[in-house]
Amino acid sequence: MENEDLKIERTLENVPGAGLVYNIIDYIDGWARKYSIWPIHLVTGCCSPEFMQVSGSRFDMERLGILPFASVRQCDCIMVVGVVSRKMADRVKYLYEQMGEPKYVVAVGACPIGKGPFYDSYSVVAIDEYVPVDVYIPGCPPRPEAIIHGMMELQEKIKGGKRLGVKN
Amino acid sequence: MSEPEIKPEIMRISWGPQHPMSGQTRILLDTDGEKVHRIIADLGFTHRGIEKILENRSLIGGIVPIDRMAMVDTSNISIGYVTAAEKAYGLEVPERANWIRSLVCEMGRINSHLYAFGLQAESTGYFPAVFLWTTVDREVLLDLFEELTGARWSYNFFLPGGVYKDLPEGFKEKVIEAVHYLRNRFQNYWTAMIENPMFEMRCNNVAVLKPEDAIRLGATGPSLRGSGVDIDIRKIEPYAAYADLDFDVITEDACDVMARTKVRFHEIGQSLNMMEQIAKEIPEGPIKTRFTPFMRAPEGEHYIRVETSRGELGIHLFTNGTTNPYRVKINPPSLRNMYVFERLAELDEIMVADIPVVINSIDPWYLDSDR
Amino acid sequence: MLKTSISNLVKSVEDIISDEIESVEIKDEKYVSITVKYDYLLHVAETLKNNLGFTIPVACGGIDYLDEDKMQMIYYISNPKSRFIITLRVDIPRNSPQLPSLTQVWEAMSFHEREAHEMFGVEFKDHPNMVPLLLPPSWKGGYPLRKDFKGEGIK
Repeated sequence: MENEDLKIERTLENVPGAGLVYNIIDYIDGWARKYSIWPIHLVTGCCSPEFMQVSGSRFDMERLGILPFASVRQCDCIMVVGVVSRKMADRVKYLYEQMGEPKYVVAVGACPIGKGPFYDSYSVVAIDEYVPVDVYIPGCPPRPEAIIHGMMELQEKIKGGKRLGVKN
Repeated sequence: MSEPEIKPEIMRISWGPQHPMSGQTRILLDTDGEKVHRIIADLGFTHRGIEKILENRSLIGGIVPIDRMAMVDTSNISIGYVTAAEKAYGLEVPERANWIRSLVCEMGRINSHLYAFGLQAESTGYFPAVFLWTTVDREVLLDLFEELTGARWSYNFFLPGGVYKDLPEGFKEKVIEAVHYLRNRFQNYWTAMIENPMFEMRCNNVAVLKPEDAIRLGATGPSLRGSGVDIDIRKIEPYAAYADLDFDVITEDACDVMARTKVRFHEIGQSLNMMEQIAKEIPEGPIKTRFTPFMRAPEGEHYIRVETSRGELGIHLFTNGTTNPYRVKINPPSLRNMYVFERLAELDEIMVADIPVVINSIDPWYLDSDR
Repeated sequence: MLKTSISNLVKSVEDIISDEIESVEIKDEKYVSITVKYDYLLHVAETLKNNLGFTIPVACGGIDYLDEDKMQMIYYISNPKSRFIITLRVDIPRNSPQLPSLTQVWEAMSFHEREAHEMFGVEFKDHPNMVPLLLPPSWKGGYPLRKDFKGEGIK
C-alpha cells in the first residue's frame, strides 16, 4: 500500500538501468529490517503468560530477531497482547505516536481484534479504533506456534521494502 | 486521576504500564532521591467489567470470563465460581471428581509460584538464567494440562457437578514422572536463589511487615503467612478433596521479603507431595452428575472462599430463580495486597532501588485485582 | 463443632447489640449475616472490631434492588482467631445514597469504598481519598453496576 503523498523522489530514476539498483537496495533493506523487529515491552492483558512462554527457551522468539526493548524511540513494533481497556488504549496510542517510522502493529489474541469473550463489556475496546493494525493473530490465548507464524507473516510484509503502518 | 499535592523537595516518579518490570499498572513514587516517602497505586488498566457481564450470561456460561480472570492459575479461581454455582443448583460432586479437581488446582498453584519466582529473580539481580529456567519448567506442567484438558492456559475444565473428562490412560505415571523431575529441579532453584549471598543481601530485612500490621491492613496469602499468621482456607473450610490430603500450612517468622519467598518455595514442595498422593490413591467412580445447561437456580445466596496462590478469594453469588445470576460479587486477593503495598512505605524504610523486589514479593496479579 | 461455635457467635452478637440491628442469621451453615439499622452502622462496626475481635477487613460491595427502590451495602469482615466471616448489611435509599465511611474502623476499606462510589454512586462521608479507582478519569457514562445502566454494548 503506497501512500501517494509520500512517494519519494529518487534522483536517478530516469537513467535506464537504475530500477535494478533500486530494487536491489530495497531488497537488502527489507531483508535487514525483517530480521530485527524490536517490539516494545508492553503487555496489556491476560495473554501475557503466553507471550512470556514464546520468549522463553522452548519456543524461542529471539532466533527470528525479535527482542523486546525498553526504550520506545528505538523500537519499531507494538505487539498488543491481550485485553485492551479504555484506560490502556490511550497509552497504546500515545506510544504508537512516539515510535519512529516505519512502524508496525500486531494484534495478538481475540480481545484486541473484536473484544473476545468480553464482547458486551462497557470497558473493553478493539484496538482497530485507535491504531492501524498490520497482522491479526487470533486465539484465546493463541498457541506459541501461532504467534511465531504471525510474526513470520509480518516479515513477509516487510520483505518487499514497502512502506507500511503509515497513518496520516 | 487527580493526584495529591507534593512538597517542593520531593520528586514524583511515574513507573508506568510501559516498563520491563512493572506489569499492567502505574505506580507513583514520591521520593527525595533515595528513600521512598509515599507510594500511590493507579489501578484499572485491565478493568473489563466482569461483574456486570456475568449478569448477562447463564451460570455455566459465566465460567468463560471467570477463567480469564487470572490466566496464571485459572483452576484456583474458577473452582470458587463453580462451587458456588453447584451449591446454588444443589448438586453433589462425586469423590473422584473432587480428587481430579485437587490435582488440577495444585498443578496451577505450582505454575503460579514458578511465575512469581521468575519475576523475583529478574528483579533482584537480573538473573535471566533463573527466569528462563522457570519458562522451561512450566512447559512440563503445560504439557500435562494439554493432555488432560486440551488447552494450555484457559481450559474451562470444571463443570457444576464434576469435571468435564476423565484422566486419560497413562496419565498417572506421567504425573509421577513430572513430580520427580520437578523435585530435582528445585534443588537448583534453592542453591541459585535462596542460598545465593547476593540474593540474601537484597532480600533480608527489606520491607518488614509485622503480624499485627498484616492483620490490620488485610493482607492475605503468602504475604500474610510470611509474617507468621497461619490462615489457609484449605484447612479452615476444606473444599474439593483437601480434607483427605495431608499437607502442612507453611509460615515463616522473619516477616521480610526472604520469608515470603521461602513460603512460596515450601508451598511448592507441599503441592508436589499432594500431586504424588493423588496419583497413587485416587478412587474410582463417576466423574459428573447429571445437569442441563439452562437449569434455573432457586432463589438464594451463597458465599464461597477458596485459597488461590495469591491469597483468599471470595465469591458471593445471588440468584433469583432465572437462568442468570442476579449479582456476583468477587473479592479478589490482589486488591487487598495492593493496599498493603501502598502502606509499606510508612511502615518500613524502603529505598527506590528496592521497589521491584518488594512488589514482586507481594506478587500481585493486576487482572485479578481489576476484574 | 463448627455449628456450636457459630451459634455461640450469634448469641454473643444478640447479647451485646440486639437493639441496634434488625436481624442476625446464619446462612449456609457457614457465615453470619447481620442487617443493621442505618443510624447505628458506625457503632455496630466498632463493637464488632473491639469487643468481638473482627479485625480483618476483607471487602465491601453493593447490590442494587431496583424493584424495591433501595440499594444495600455489604461489608465482609473476618476474625483472625475463629476465622469466621460476618457480612454486615445496611439498606440505603436509592435516590440519594449516603453512608459514613468505615475507614475510621477498618483502614483497608478505602479501596473498596472508592470502587463502590464509582460503580453505584454511593457517597461516603469523611473518606480520606475519594478518587476513581478502576474507571478512567474521563468516564462520563453513569454508574455501571446499577440495574438501569444503559451503557455501550449492554443489552
